[in-house]
Amino acid sequence: MKIQRNCLTAFMLLAAVLPFVISDQYILHVAIIVMFYAVLATSLNLVVGYVGEFSLGHTAFLGTGAYAAALLSTQAGWPMWATIPAAGLCAAVMGTIIGAITLRLHGPFFVIITLSFSEVLRLIANNWVAVTKGPMGIAGVPQPAFLAQLDNLAGKHFYYAIAWLLLAIALYLAYRFVNSNAGRAAVAVRENRYVAQSIGIRPLNYSMMALVLGAFLSGTAGGFYAHYISFVGPEMFRFAFMVTMITMVLIGGKGTLIGPLVGALLVTFLEEYLREAQELRLSLFGLIVIAIVLFMPNGIMGFVTRHREKRAQQPAAPVSMPVTGTKRRSV
Amino acid sequence: MELLPQFIANGLVIGSFYALSALGLTLILGMMRVVNFAHGELYMVGGVMGWWATTRLGLDFFSGLLLVAVVLGTFGWLIDRFLIERIRDQGEEPGILLTIGLSIFLANTALLLVGTAPLKIESPLAGGPLFLGPIVLTKARLFAVAVSITLMIITYLVIQKTRLGRAMRATFQDPMAAKLVGIRTANIYAGTFAMGTVIASMAGMLLGSIYSTQVSIGGLVSMKAFVVVILGGMGSFAGAIVGGLLLGLAEALWGGYVATGWVDIIGFILVILTLLFRPYGLFVKRAERA
Repeated sequence: MKIQRNCLTAFMLLAAVLPFVISDQYILHVAIIVMFYAVLATSLNLVVGYVGEFSLGHTAFLGTGAYAAALLSTQAGWPMWATIPAAGLCAAVMGTIIGAITLRLHGPFFVIITLSFSEVLRLIANNWVAVTKGPMGIAGVPQPAFLAQLDNLAGKHFYYAIAWLLLAIALYLAYRFVNSNAGRAAVAVRENRYVAQSIGIRPLNYSMMALVLGAFLSGTAGGFYAHYISFVGPEMFRFAFMVTMITMVLIGGKGTLIGPLVGALLVTFLEEYLREAQELRLSLFGLIVIAIVLFMPNGIMGFVTRHREKRAQQPAAPVSMPVTGTKRRSV
Repeated sequence: MELLPQFIANGLVIGSFYALSALGLTLILGMMRVVNFAHGELYMVGGVMGWWATTRLGLDFFSGLLLVAVVLGTFGWLIDRFLIERIRDQGEEPGILLTIGLSIFLANTALLLVGTAPLKIESPLAGGPLFLGPIVLTKARLFAVAVSITLMIITYLVIQKTRLGRAMRATFQDPMAAKLVGIRTANIYAGTFAMGTVIASMAGMLLGSIYSTQVSIGGLVSMKAFVVVILGGMGSFAGAIVGGLLLGLAEALWGGYVATGWVDIIGFILVILTLLFRPYGLFVKRAERA
């Protein structure tokens, strides 16, 4: 756990220094997107890695947050510092509702019901034209007023700072959750539901907690995205976003805090780098995803951990990092 | 109310198409427990290949269908032996990610090869509409329904009446016991996946002759197929058919009487309600844990 904390701190410090060194707008944009995805992947990891259920409906919270921020700022004229937390809260409420329904199911049933919820929300966003403007989406989500006087680079720096702050909050909350009693209880439920119940852990409570926290974090990320791109459309609920998030979590290594971060970095860079290959880009991306599932089933962090364990040469006392490949199946 | 018979007829026609496109997934998701997100893309590849065979190779419809079945069957077999084989018994997650990767690859490679334009497959039974009392149907649709029903019956007979089908059911009930009595389970798994792929691709080609085939259709087909499989119950053959008809009817009536824009939502609402109240599907009596 200590090494995780040190790595996270080091990463965040490095990220804090970056804008002072780099003044290239494109690189800053990529860095902002990396941090945005890192928040999303961290929040999804709380569900996939710590509750141990495979959610494909996380875009529901991202989209709720984005729409909440966009509507609050365009209709009610709220400033950005208020809309982003409000977006998180709206998503958390949505998480409570969806979680209360979905967390009773497991395995493939959970996968499909979460997917259904995000599809329902996408269709509502697409068809409830009076509020969401339908497929046109909500354009012109206002930027903070003082950005108008600054040049583009300063604007990027401003958004970089916000993204950094959001990521720091997300990582801090996730770290605190994972290392709290609640987080350990959630891991116990993930590893063996019945043993956990027999020692007095109520599975639903802890998985709810993780899901609502995850929903809150991805809601804030959605609110940030709405302001940064200044456009929100039904695409926010699309499966493509979900695919990106899930690949990040699994490539990085689920059930670790560094994993999603590594995954976000790697996948974003990969997508940018593969732009060179133009039309082949997505085909290659598909093949890479397949290769990672086959050859690195526990993600990069799983690979690193195994390597470290091997080097430590402690066959008697296996290091207890919560990286288990196969979820034990309940009978 | 005058339009009601027409709506019901449309619903049943579309429902049988849904049932057919979900039939392959019933095998793969319901029996093999692989949450196959590439299902819609396999359907799409079937349609695109059917278009290629009929327009570029100049084959007639049925030879094209046969070619599609053979090629995609081999493809499905290879996918199982080389990809899914390696992640069997590891829970759902690797399978989901693997098939998502596969679907991204298939959709974008097809996009590179044939582009985004809708591809029209010539139906072997062109011709005008048929008037049956108050109902109007085109011949092409009736033909497609007939082929769908035939395919469903063949699949049913294969699963229920042949040695292969018996071996399949044994393998999915208890792989260990199946191995003990001498069933080559690896072949059975691959065969089931291939069979699911064949049905999906044939559905793609058949429905490509009614509507049109498009590279981007995969996601939608996968979603509808998931809806149908969940409605009917995992691995229930009759359930998939009834689920498909139910979805088709519900959509036709909803679209006719309530609002056309919201048609797609009804399937997902049905899924959510089904999973809440009858998580094992509407037609499966035995409560079996996932």
